[in-house]
Amino acid sequence: MITHSVIITSDKVVVDGQTLPHKEQGSAMLTELYRSHVGDYPKFFKMDTLCKVGFLASELLLNAEGDRNFEPREDRAVILFNRSSSLQADTHYQSTIQEADNFYPSPAAFVYTLPNIVTGEIAIRNKFMGETSFMVIEDYDEQTIMQNLANAFQDPVTESVISGWCDCMDEEHFEAKLFLNNKLSNR
Amino acid sequence: MDELIYTLKKQIIEALNLEDMTPEDIDENAALFGEGLGLDSIDALELIVMMEKNYGIKLKDPAQGKEIFKSVAVMADFISKNRTK
Repeated sequence: MITHSVIITSDKVVVDGQTLPHKEQGSAMLTELYRSHVGDYPKFFKMDTLCKVGFLASELLLNAEGDRNFEPREDRAVILFNRSSSLQADTHYQSTIQEADNFYPSPAAFVYTLPNIVTGEIAIRNKFMGETSFMVIEDYDEQTIMQNLANAFQDPVTESVISGWCDCMDEEHFEAKLFLNNKLSNR
Repeated sequence: MDELIYTLKKQIIEALNLEDMTPEDIDENAALFGEGLGLDSIDALELIVMMEKNYGIKLKDPAQGKEIFKSVAVMADFISKNRTK
């Protein structure tokens, strides 16, 4: 059963059906909402846009759930999907190694050249010790997401899963649809 | 040296995306890692790249970083003695 949901696009953020007010758009909107709804995780500013979108969506989702204690737990998994993988980070990193005369590979850019860094960041922040995976598929496909969700719940330890879509083309074009799913009602 | 320290602070803020920080917020004698600015291992690698890019300094032994990155003041001293650009 879905207990909470968050939708983020470049100009709109909706938590459990309620639109969050904001002034900015695109990546500036992400920063604005980080400041107003999170604020205690400076690593946010080092993230690429894909990570920022996924991280912020997870924070809003978990704030909606409430009672956050950041204690280690093994019963929660994070399983996300997208179509663009880590394209923006890949392009940015490529720019640091493009010219032979200006060849300075950036470690901070390289770190984000895998999409599953998003699920890792969410797990590290919240001390989720369960499954984390990030799958790249052709397009948003609810059936694929639901199938993988059902598979995750086959694990007897997993009681809840943060799942959904987290895609980013660039700083101004991104989309996240994250859901908090509880196992009990899936039985 | 004061000018180099100020420039270095600005370059560190930019290279490490230390949002909301200004050069004035960084104590040049405070530890960069651990208690100080709370930087991590990726930040250390980024500082190594920044020193090479801006000052032409190539660290032959990454372990040197532990000494050099003690504080902005120590970094500035090392850069002033070893810079090639």
